[in-house]
Amino acid sequence: MFGSNRAEKVSAHSMTWSDEELVTRSIGGDPDSFNQLVLRWERPIYALAYRVIGREEDARDVCQETFLRAFRALNGFRGQAKFSSWLYRIALNLCRDWVRRERRTPVVQAPEDLDAFDLSAVREPMASVDDLVARRELTRIVERAMAKLPDDQRTAIILKEYHELTFQEIADLVGCPLSTVKTRLYQGLAVLRRELAKSES
Amino acid sequence: MIETICTYSGRDDLLVAYLYDEIETADRAAFSAHLSVCGRCTRELAALRGVRSTLSAWAPPEPRVVTNYEPRASSHEPRATSDEPRATNWHDIPGWAQVAAALLVLGVSAAIANVEVRRDASGWTLRTGWSKGGAPTAVAPAVAGNSSAPWRADLTALERRLRTEFQPSPARAVPAAAAANAMSDAELQRRVRAIISESERRQERELALRVAEVVKDVNAQRQADLVKIDRSLGFIQTSTYGEQMKQRELVNYLLKVSQKQ
Repeated sequence: MFGSNRAEKVSAHSMTWSDEELVTRSIGGDPDSFNQLVLRWERPIYALAYRVIGREEDARDVCQETFLRAFRALNGFRGQAKFSSWLYRIALNLCRDWVRRERRTPVVQAPEDLDAFDLSAVREPMASVDDLVARRELTRIVERAMAKLPDDQRTAIILKEYHELTFQEIADLVGCPLSTVKTRLYQGLAVLRRELAKSES
Repeated sequence: MIETICTYSGRDDLLVAYLYDEIETADRAAFSAHLSVCGRCTRELAALRGVRSTLSAWAPPEPRVVTNYEPRASSHEPRATSDEPRATNWHDIPGWAQVAAALLVLGVSAAIANVEVRRDASGWTLRTGWSKGGAPTAVAPAVAGNSSAPWRADLTALERRLRTEFQPSPARAVPAAAAANAMSDAELQRRVRAIISESERRQERELALRVAEVVKDVNAQRQADLVKIDRSLGFIQTSTYGEQMKQRELVNYLLKVSQKQ
């Protein structure tokens, strides 16, 4: 673990640099700049991988491998896209590889122990137990509903809902026309609406 | 209000664009006007907003703190081998102390990717905390091997200190170096205590959550059982009433027949 030590090493003013500036500095030989990029993007990448794959440990592996590949290919990054989009593309490709390798549908499964609870506790230490139970139940419902979606619809919804990418960014990332992204979102949301209604009843 | 079919051109795409507020100004105005007259679109928009609100509850689990730290240099370095200076028998030290030691050495916060780049006189190093291995990890030239990795010296020193501390012999003399380290030992103990108390708090919360879930399940089951009993009672009452009516009709018939005779 590098955690806090690493965070301290990253200089304070580097926090204000844009991703692209940090990439340029990394290519120029400044290791802290790349470490700053890792700090900045590891959570979103992990969250993306977890929601696509549904397994915490594999999501962490994907997250790590994403940064390793990014580092290896950093010289090839020419700034034609945003750094985050480039990173998302690497992560999504790794997720696809994972699904292919594992030969299974990426059904999101609730972790066996109390991670969702832990997360809630971290964010809202005063939340009541009832709230936490309700939230965990809701998480399970959402995970079950998301598992019903075809891959392309699930990916579109994850990128839009949880990473707030624009339609165009999603289209560029997954390599499809912009109107297809909207269609996938509409169809995916319609499926989710139906599945969530079933859970309520 | 239009109730059943909506033939607005490009309706699904526009609905999604409107929902995510990613729509051209002119299209927005036109679609807003449409919404005021189309019940179907208005209802669907509200329903999809509800779906989005529900989706926001889904958070990925907080990654666990992992302690199986292993440096990976840029060359194809094998894992630590048995001829390296392995100081130790970690099983002699309590598990919690091992965890605490690892946390202290490796940093407490949960770095998810666990990737760190360093650069020194010998070139770039890319270090990772965990991975299933397999692929080479970096582009840069190889740097110092495992035996000279800086973390190993730290870990060995801390391990030695912990082993000294947990020696079972009561007659153990306090070495001068240990006395000099009194402050850091106190700090170490403070941190270990903090970790233990945090762990206890987490277990308490976990227990409370489990209990609450069991109570909720029991209540749900009880409600379901009550509904079932209620239905059964209703059925029995209906059947009994039916039987009673039949009996009454039969008695009346018999009375009529007997009176005629």
